Amino acid sequence: MASYIVRRLGYMLITLVFVTVVGFFIIELPPGSYLEFHIQSLRQQGGDVTPDQIAALERRYGLGDPVHVRFYKWISGFPRGDFGQSFQHQRPVGELIWSRLGYTLLISVLTLIISWGIAIVVGVYSATHRYTIPDYLITVLQFIGLAIPNFLLALVMMIVLQQTFGMRVGVLYSREFRDAPFSIAKLLDLASNLWVPIVILGVAGTAWTSRVMRANLLDVLNMQYVQTARAKGVYEPKVIWKHAVRNALHPLVMTLGLALPGIISGEVIVSTVLNLPTSGPLFFQALIQQDMYLAGTFLVFFAVALLIGNLLADIMLAWLDPRITYR
Amino acid sequence: MTDQVSVQETDAGQQVEQPSAQGNIVEVRDLHTYFYTDLGVARALNGVTYNIPREKVLGIVGESGCGKSVTALSIMNLVQPPGKIVSGEVVLHRVGAKGANTEVVLTDLGRHSTQMRRIRGNEIAMIFQEPMTSLNPVYTIGDQISEAFILHQGVNKDEARRRSILILDRVGMPYADTVVDQYPHQLSGGMRQRAMIALGLSCAPSLLIADEPTTALDVTTEAQILDVMRGLQSDIGMSIMFITHDLGVIAQMADEVVVMYLGRVAEQAPVDSIFYDPLHPYTRALLRSIPHVGEGTKERLKPIRGVVPNPYSNISGCPFHPRCDEFMPDVCDVNVPGITMTEDGRAVRCFLYSDRVEKNG
Repeated sequence: MASYIVRRLGYMLITLVFVTVVGFFIIELPPGSYLEFHIQSLRQQGGDVTPDQIAALERRYGLGDPVHVRFYKWISGFPRGDFGQSFQHQRPVGELIWSRLGYTLLISVLTLIISWGIAIVVGVYSATHRYTIPDYLITVLQFIGLAIPNFLLALVMMIVLQQTFGMRVGVLYSREFRDAPFSIAKLLDLASNLWVPIVILGVAGTAWTSRVMRANLLDVLNMQYVQTARAKGVYEPKVIWKHAVRNALHPLVMTLGLALPGIISGEVIVSTVLNLPTSGPLFFQALIQQDMYLAGTFLVFFAVALLIGNLLADIMLAWLDPRITYR
Repeated sequence: MTDQVSVQETDAGQQVEQPSAQGNIVEVRDLHTYFYTDLGVARALNGVTYNIPREKVLGIVGESGCGKSVTALSIMNLVQPPGKIVSGEVVLHRVGAKGANTEVVLTDLGRHSTQMRRIRGNEIAMIFQEPMTSLNPVYTIGDQISEAFILHQGVNKDEARRRSILILDRVGMPYADTVVDQYPHQLSGGMRQRAMIALGLSCAPSLLIADEPTTALDVTTEAQILDVMRGLQSDIGMSIMFITHDLGVIAQMADEVVVMYLGRVAEQAPVDSIFYDPLHPYTRALLRSIPHVGEGTKERLKPIRGVVPNPYSNISGCPFHPRCDEFMPDVCDVNVPGITMTEDGRAVRCFLYSDRVEKNG
């Protein structure tokens, strides 16, 4: 197992190199560069830009170099923690992204954990109470949850919370805590704001996961070994949770690696709508303005999160099912 | 004290009046188990009555779909929805100290009740048809056997593990102390069935229900498993209810035989009587349909004509009459035959032997 994990880490490094290359060139693909965007905005402000100035700007940003040179300059900074400069913000990318990436990761992981916790319980309940009224109700809610796009849900919740409950949406901290040092009160304040994006992000995933859980468990409940456990005299809830659920979780964990990208890209959309200080709005702006080092660095870190998520899913799977061995 | 509701103490005087209670461990009386499906009501058991003799092996034979497995699940009170025990009762006779006989009506206990769970795996154990799927793939053999010890004997984990190794050894599991920590997928089919038998026998039940335990195994393994079961049956002094469609296995294993057809018992008799002097036309037809050593190879087997009707159909009269060679018009297709007890204590449901009619047929 240990050697497997080491080897997996090696593969992850190789994958990461490919991700940076592909990511960089995709960001390069649209015509123009940040410079053109910059010149345009300077002209809009009424100023005239001379060819000399353009050449000076080009030199300053290193945009005159061929693509592979720029790529090398960018990537060679990584081991030193230098991710290049943001054109737009005139600051190192590293300074800009840490706290935002942290919040994105926090929201994504919390969403995943909470949505799975709820989905498993709901799935087990509706599988063990199949074709009863609560099961039908859950099914209706699941389809509604699946059908609502999360940006729409974000808009609706924003309006409802603001107009009906007078809540300030679109912040992570209340004003008095924004610059306060870390404390329990600050953490509670964060929690009181954080649930909004988590609910918006989690609804569709919870609906989907509980649906899958229900179907899996219904399959497993027909297995002979469940009947064996009952014939042994095991208490029915224990039959369900110990003997059936563990076998039904298996396909869910396999999709864990796939669930994470969905949540992260959902987080980008939801945070943009809610204007939260997470990766979403910054990443989106960087893409529009071709602030390429900033956008590229975000891509790389998302890829790292996904790779780690996949590795964790595989390790969890091995722990869950002894039939899986990694060599 | 939990069984208060359904336990009746019977004194010696009453036992004389009910001689059957003495020799039987379980009595199944007029059991009806129906499955309420979208296609209609499947009458899987339609008035099943038979006795499981104490410390004997009762074989249950019949074609697929005749209700063999459902009877077993009904005794265990493990019929899952949409199935339901509609009427009739299953009575378990316990022999207490000083030969005092207590009886528990299993069908009166709730499916998930504590009393029923204390009986399952402890007094009545069951092993299933598919050794490949009847063990949980994510727990070790030892964990799964230990669970029964911890549940019914209240021992701790280490002691349960020790007992698991002993019982595995007893069913002839090679390398029991290694196998105890292995997972089902690491064992062969025969080893898994031994593990299942070990699980079934772990708490020394007074009745072991074996639902086609050797059907999925090759003949050599089957012979070994049957040997183990026969040996342990006489060692422990338990009863076995052995469900199979293999008459050869019945001849080898059973003391007494119940022949089932379409949710009813056609005939119950000692094994020799079944093979040498079958009463019910269905039993005779079954025996004619198996090949015999020494018969000419050119001779054709005589299959029973027709197929088992589907359980949703409602056949008037005796359920076997459309396929019966001795069908009597205006008799067999009108009424359901009642149970006739012969002088030597055999039970048969056929108008050839008496005109007893089933009450609510």
